[in-house]
Amino acid sequence: MSIAIEKTQAPARAVARKLLRRDDGWAGLLFALPHLILFIVFLLGPTLYGFFISLHQWHVLAKEHPFVGLSNYKAALGDDIFWLALRNTAYFVILVVPLGNLVSLLLALGVAGVKRFGTFYKVAFYVPVVISIAVVSVLWQWLYNTEIGLLNLYLKTAINGLRHMGMALPPFQPLPWLSDPHWAMPSIALMSIWWGAGGNMILYLAGINNIAPDYYEAATIDGANTWQRFWAITWPLLKPTTLFCLVFSVLGAFQIFGQSYVLYGGGSGPGRAGLTLVLYMYQQGFSQYEIGYGAAIAYLLFAIVLIFTGIQFKLMQGREEK
Amino acid sequence: MIKFLNRSQIGLHIPMLILALLFLAPLLWMVSTSLKTSEDIVNSLGALRWLPHPLTYANFHEVLTNVEEFPVWRWTGNSLFISLAVTFLVLTVDSLAAFAYSRLKWKGRDRIFSILVATMLVPGQVLLIPTYLLIRNLHWFDTYQALIIPAGAGAFGVFLLRQFFMTIPAELEEAARLDGCGPLGVFRHVILPLSKPALATLGIFTFMGTWNAFEGPLIFTSSMDMRTLPIGITIFQGHYGAEYGQMMAAAVIAALPVLISFLIFQKHIIKGISLTGLAGR
Repeated sequence: MSIAIEKTQAPARAVARKLLRRDDGWAGLLFALPHLILFIVFLLGPTLYGFFISLHQWHVLAKEHPFVGLSNYKAALGDDIFWLALRNTAYFVILVVPLGNLVSLLLALGVAGVKRFGTFYKVAFYVPVVISIAVVSVLWQWLYNTEIGLLNLYLKTAINGLRHMGMALPPFQPLPWLSDPHWAMPSIALMSIWWGAGGNMILYLAGINNIAPDYYEAATIDGANTWQRFWAITWPLLKPTTLFCLVFSVLGAFQIFGQSYVLYGGGSGPGRAGLTLVLYMYQQGFSQYEIGYGAAIAYLLFAIVLIFTGIQFKLMQGREEK
Repeated sequence: MIKFLNRSQIGLHIPMLILALLFLAPLLWMVSTSLKTSEDIVNSLGALRWLPHPLTYANFHEVLTNVEEFPVWRWTGNSLFISLAVTFLVLTVDSLAAFAYSRLKWKGRDRIFSILVATMLVPGQVLLIPTYLLIRNLHWFDTYQALIIPAGAGAFGVFLLRQFFMTIPAELEEAARLDGCGPLGVFRHVILPLSKPALATLGIFTFMGTWNAFEGPLIFTSSMDMRTLPIGITIFQGHYGAEYGQMMAAAVIAALPVLISFLIFQKHIIKGISLTGLAGR
């Protein structure tokens, strides 16, 4: 390979061309190999192996793992707790994805709009993202405490204050943030939005900053107000960013686990209201040791996520063509 | 600058400031609680006080010195070692692979790369059960390698670095080739020095992601000595339960290293997210 180029120009160029229009042969595979081995053993392999496991009645401690076909899947679809976990997870996705992205977008618009202290705002909104879900959950468990949690203390102060001022409000009842089945998912969603909104905010902000200022200037000259400029310029031009954020938010939200696990100490919450698909997979696989069944739940989750991602891409493409 | 909101800047700063305080409040409350006495925490009048009075370090003392039950220093050491090792592994194998997929020509390259990209849609949680079995079969259960080696398998870093490597002008590589550099020379002398920002971004995110990882350490380790800080937090929780002073002290200890590194590298991190589309998880 290492041919010194000297002598006259013309042959040198020929050699150069030959050198550059090359095939690196084994070198390419060699460079890719360390990662490729890890990828095959610990990612591609397990992806296929997980499906294989899901086709067996597989108890961790048992010696034999009889092949049972799709029985685990059938069992899951006939399992009321699986459907409950799916409903809870879907509820979480519906709460967190639209609302979370709306918050992220609004924060990004705000940060893009300020002329000073932009960095301070960015840091303030992003800082929860860098904290572990375990820390986030124990912190919010404290904030959500019914008797002496910060949220109920402030609500109590606010409501008592308003009553004092003569407003006809019922006396303050502490909100059962985590202890009431109806409140469990909304509380988990609120905490999750606080935790994650900063990440997508930065992505929306990057999208907004990529829009050429000329568009806005032209629109302003034409007399468009802030609202019109947003719908005519920012929103359509932000579509790729929005699609990206939505797809990955859905992907992430369906995989919710740590929140429920830490808030409810490994349990499922009141009336199993905190039970999510991955938590159910964990309980089946690592508490009951029925990893065949756990793997089937994981694959059903995988299928759901794939369908949703597909639908989102279709929807966004369809809208773009109109 | 983009003029989104034609109103006066003050009208924008007021809601933004309130929002910023709302986002910071839980963290400030965490620090505040960790420095309070238990009487001060339970008494609701004292509880609404943001500045602890009297201020006490007893919670930190309790959490940090009870090493028999809670080997906090060991957990911190584990988190640090595992995070550094994963970062080193990911940067090494991913940069080599990204070089192969972006700057070298070889048979099957594009087909393999498209498989890599497709697997980015595989939810990580789907891999937990098969990886757990694999780790047990390798006799890696409850070891460092169980938390380090599988972390090098992801395709995202390769994808990210490949995108960056492709923006490096071909002329630079050609010049090096004509000077007699082989692929390894081009990689070391041209690609790597020019890719420091991308490598730093991937490195920081890998480090933070590993430091905060929850499911892996929960499932692939079992002994007290092999746990990491996030799992340690749940162990504290099982013990201290409603003693929030101690709980918050433990939470501060687990969060402080990433918080400090974030504040130091915040400019780089935020730029990194917008460049790479990594939302930091």
